Amino acid sequence: MDWQVIIANFPLLMSGLVKSLQLTVVSVLFSFPLGCLIAIGRLSHRRWLSGASTAFVNVLRSNPLILILFWFYFLVPLITGRNVNDLTSIIVAFIVFFAAYFAEIVRSGIQSVGVRQIQAGLSSMRHIVLPQAIRAMLPALITQCIVVFQGTTVVYVIGYSELLHTAASIAERTVRPVELYVTVAAIYFIVCYSASRIARHFEKGAA
Amino acid sequence: MRYEFNWGLLWREPYFDWIVEGILTTFHLALLAWILALCLGIVIGVLRVTNSRLLRAIGTTYVEVFRNIPLIVQLFLWLYVVPQMLPREFSFWWNRLDNVPYWTAMIGISFYTSARLAEQIRSALRAIPPGQFKAGLSTGLTQVQVYRYVIVPYALRIIIPALTSEFLTVFKNTALALTIGVIEITATTRRIEAWSFRGIEAYTVASLTYIATTILVILFMSWLERRYQIPGLIKRGEARV
Amino acid sequence: MSQPIIRVESVGLRFDSFVALDDVSLSVNAGQCIVICGPSGSGKSTLLRCINGLERFQKGDVWVDGVSVSGCQDLPKLRRGVGMVFQHFELYPHMTVLENVTLAPIKAKGLSRKQAEDLAFHYLDRVGIVDQAQKHPGRLSGGQQQRAAIARALALEPKAMLFDEPTSALDPEMIAEVLYVMRDLARGGMTMLVVTHEMGFAREVADEVVFMDRGRIVEHATVDEFFSTPRAERTREFLNKILLKL
Repeated sequence: MDWQVIIANFPLLMSGLVKSLQLTVVSVLFSFPLGCLIAIGRLSHRRWLSGASTAFVNVLRSNPLILILFWFYFLVPLITGRNVNDLTSIIVAFIVFFAAYFAEIVRSGIQSVGVRQIQAGLSSMRHIVLPQAIRAMLPALITQCIVVFQGTTVVYVIGYSELLHTAASIAERTVRPVELYVTVAAIYFIVCYSASRIARHFEKGAA
Repeated sequence: MRYEFNWGLLWREPYFDWIVEGILTTFHLALLAWILALCLGIVIGVLRVTNSRLLRAIGTTYVEVFRNIPLIVQLFLWLYVVPQMLPREFSFWWNRLDNVPYWTAMIGISFYTSARLAEQIRSALRAIPPGQFKAGLSTGLTQVQVYRYVIVPYALRIIIPALTSEFLTVFKNTALALTIGVIEITATTRRIEAWSFRGIEAYTVASLTYIATTILVILFMSWLERRYQIPGLIKRGEARV
Repeated sequence: MSQPIIRVESVGLRFDSFVALDDVSLSVNAGQCIVICGPSGSGKSTLLRCINGLERFQKGDVWVDGVSVSGCQDLPKLRRGVGMVFQHFELYPHMTVLENVTLAPIKAKGLSRKQAEDLAFHYLDRVGIVDQAQKHPGRLSGGQQQRAAIARALALEPKAMLFDEPTSALDPEMIAEVLYVMRDLARGGMTMLVVTHEMGFAREVADEVVFMDRGRIVEHATVDEFFSTPRAERTREFLNKILLKL
């Protein structure tokens, strides 16, 4: 074992971690509102709207993230008709994919508050239902953020230099896979475990 | 968007064979990993409700470790790190196995999933009122009989929806095995795309495989659930994707 | 007189520093019905659990029909001789009522399914819910569930029955139907030990009343004595509280 390699490359690993976190934050910031819209769509009276939203959620949730990433990596340049950089495709894929999961969380959150209140009107939706629902689903939302963060490792296959890919390329260059993968595992563990403690704190607070 | 479809491509060799091979790999990898995960998960889940503080701590540590490290990272650990930690004879034998990435993926996915299953099993065991055990004993059943006829059948019924969604998660997670070189269905279609530049056709095959399997599993499990539901006790939970 | 069905002698039990039972002695003779009352945490339920070996005690001993509980080699057999009814019924929710009643006769006693079902129908009829036999417990009312639980205990043809607050989880309108079944059992000569706060039941059915507090038997008297001239201060306080609430 030679942990020197970790110390030497620590700044590089940290910049990888920052990219992973950035990707997480951007994905959550856009997919959560999108998920809210889809959740409201699923509870709508209009057949076509609730049908389309349900189909969207179920199709995405039955596919693995990595396949969705391949889909968008292929489709985004095709649809926009020009070469876009990898990061754009990745972000679009993440937003769409996780919107389906957020939609499910929001939907069950809203349903726990009561569908009848929702049907009372859209203004009550915004002022009464959503704040209550968000409080009820806060632990699930934080847990989902952890899932998104863990999901960022998937972009390793495309070669975007987030934490895992950074570590893998250092491992290849220095031929020190044991040290690097153990370190990376520890970093992921620390971040995810701390976040899960926060989620549990809110869970207890709500109960 | 300009794209000329060529669905006939999928029926041609070598693509068709690849697809069949890929789907089969996904299926048996998911099934094997799930069975192993269930065995591990039951043991850990039971550890987490025992009276011994030490055993509970072991269970909790296991769950936190395997739950809080992303699956791909765990796969890398199993592939690159663990063999180096083990005795030389073992890693020699291991590396001469036919399909090291496949077995590595199976072990990695099992351990990852077992931590999640352990949590489900723990909460199912917690949900059984302790009085059930006393009631069984009070009628003269032995401890083993109480477990066999009362506790386990009860726990299994509670846990069916959770087992469904965990199986579907395992099924989707097998796609991550491609990162360590297992050619399952997602890797196969990626390969077809690389060879033929026919991304839409190729990925459609993979997506339909996942969607169709999901639907079948949900239908089967909700049938199972209806059949074994406990009338008047638990409202049938919707099986989640 | 023959030996008592249940004999509790100087039983003591403590959890860490908490004394659950302190030198408790009590005898129940064949055909007797004894009611135990007292505030919560006074050790009433613990005492019942000691009698059929669900709880281990550290001092003294209990004899059920002459068999010592602490030295018992075959607890399942001993427990078959003592039926127990719980506050929360504890029916097995995944089985029908009939399966609930026949499980132990088949698996523990070794009866054939036919024999067990005949027995089950007999006792389900006795508690008045033979028409519910094929339903699951979750489909029954609380009163019906408790009656099914009584039938489950009776199907083992026990020498004595223990009731652990059988009506305290029930809605008021269902209490009467369960008490009716219990009264019927007592009149039929069943040996019963009943933990309850139903003083009307005690007055009408019981032969003796025991008042427990903090793990001790404070008062043990015949029904008439107990209600007309309670000796202990603690009993008077408790009775006032209970009777005022009703």
